[in-house]
Amino acid sequence: MWGKGLINGLRITMRNMRRGPITLMYPYEKYDLPERARWSVVPVFDEHGDPKCTACMVCVRQCPDHILDLEITTAEDKSKHIEHFRYELGACMMCGLCVEACPFSAIRMSHDYELARTDVAALTYDLLTDTDAASARKNREPKPAGAAPPEGGEHSG
Amino acid sequence: MSDPRDDVISVGALAAEGTHSAGDPPAGIRRVPSGVDGLTTEHLIINMGPQHPSTHGVLRLLIEVDGEEVLAAETSLGYLHRGIEKLAESRKYHQLGTLMDRGDYVSGMHGEQAAALATEKLLEVTVPDKARYIRTLVAELTRLASHLVWYGTFGLDTGAMGQFLYAVRDREVLLDILEEISGQRMMFNYIRPGGVVADLPVGIEKKILDFLTDFDVHLEEHHALLGGNEIFQMRVKGIGTISREMALAFALSGANLRATGVGFDVRRDRPYDAYPDLDFDVPVGSTGDAWDRYMVRMEEMRQSVRMVRQCIEGMPEGDFTAKVPKVIRPAEGEVYASVESSRGETGVHLVSDGSPEPYRYHYRGPSLFACQVLEEILPGHLLADVVMMIGSLDIMLGEADR
Repeated sequence: MWGKGLINGLRITMRNMRRGPITLMYPYEKYDLPERARWSVVPVFDEHGDPKCTACMVCVRQCPDHILDLEITTAEDKSKHIEHFRYELGACMMCGLCVEACPFSAIRMSHDYELARTDVAALTYDLLTDTDAASARKNREPKPAGAAPPEGGEHSG
Repeated sequence: MSDPRDDVISVGALAAEGTHSAGDPPAGIRRVPSGVDGLTTEHLIINMGPQHPSTHGVLRLLIEVDGEEVLAAETSLGYLHRGIEKLAESRKYHQLGTLMDRGDYVSGMHGEQAAALATEKLLEVTVPDKARYIRTLVAELTRLASHLVWYGTFGLDTGAMGQFLYAVRDREVLLDILEEISGQRMMFNYIRPGGVVADLPVGIEKKILDFLTDFDVHLEEHHALLGGNEIFQMRVKGIGTISREMALAFALSGANLRATGVGFDVRRDRPYDAYPDLDFDVPVGSTGDAWDRYMVRMEEMRQSVRMVRQCIEGMPEGDFTAKVPKVIRPAEGEVYASVESSRGETGVHLVSDGSPEPYRYHYRGPSLFACQVLEEILPGHLLADVVMMIGSLDIMLGEADR
């Protein structure tokens, strides 16, 4: 009979009307991200509040979009100091290849998905000084990274 | 008294005067003939797209209509061109997945799988059984998610609205599952040469099985809601018929090809990953019209559900990835590997010169061929069916334009 399918469709609609909402009232409610969720890259600091990064440059070389950049100065005693760890949030596609490659787990993918910025300049920043993780660490003078990286040699950004 | 038709501006006349000319078409591009047929109605050229909500991306169509009837159509591609093939030449092999995700962005896993299979062929690596099963599992989940997008938007194209929301409801659960497995909802970057990047998270099997239990009911509900609707049936039956010969001549693949009665499925005929171990049917149509394409895709979803269940039941123990060097330097040579993506045969042709980056990377996207067949099937139909026929082919411009 013509129209049977239409009535059946209405029945399905009625059935769905009885169930509760499946949406969240964002931003009042927030979705629990799974552990592996990948959003912006954030640095990891050790228990002294120093960056774990040893400036080995592996992440810089791994990034398909070339958005990470490390500027390093080498002191006379061959110790390295990170001047600048540039991160371009606006161009980051959050593929996680830099985090996978990091031999020291010095960076990780955060669960911060509210990444809109009102200023374009705010999309490029220094991972070690301008992130929330950096400002939350203990307020102490960071030691220059003393340990020589196992690979990479001397690089400058 | 002057002829009222004198006031009507003829597109063809404007073009002839040069006031509205877009210049000579580039070599190899056919411009739709235009003009007045001299007797009754004036032909009109409609520029549909690239910014059109129903072209599933940025497809541009030049449609010549006589009243409501389409006389000729020309597809114009390239509005989403990002140079994926050229970019791949400056990417390392394990980075290719990030590009393939963004090719066919609704079924990213299949692109990654094709790139990984091609790299593995070059490297001559044996993928562990568990990795094969995980890949198959996520590929079939992605196929379900992709087909749900197609189902939802196809309904929208024919004028139905409610079923789109039901489709998105189910897809949302699938994307949550895929996010838990891979870390992102669409740009997964999960399948790598040698296997997958991480094992399945603990407890995901239960989530998938719970979803499938619901989805078994929902899928029949979807079919009843759209396919059972008589108005929808009247809209799609006998429309956009592709003959077997035309489908083969245009190198169609996937559901578009199978709807014409050609039973070719890469999963069955050139099996890869865990498909040789799985029991599944390849649905084929008979007439090749939009209704057959609809039915084939709905049946594919049922088969995908079967395959996901088999993957979970038969998930072997072992490693989730083979030992692959960090910097992949395959030997010189060239390979082709293909997978059955949601839209058809997605293939990757890799040429290696022994360096860590591909020398040439070619990507076969099934949507490119589906876009071309539009020019053949649109003439003779009504203007209102154009959008419906685009929807029935399930094209993905990210992949056609790459």
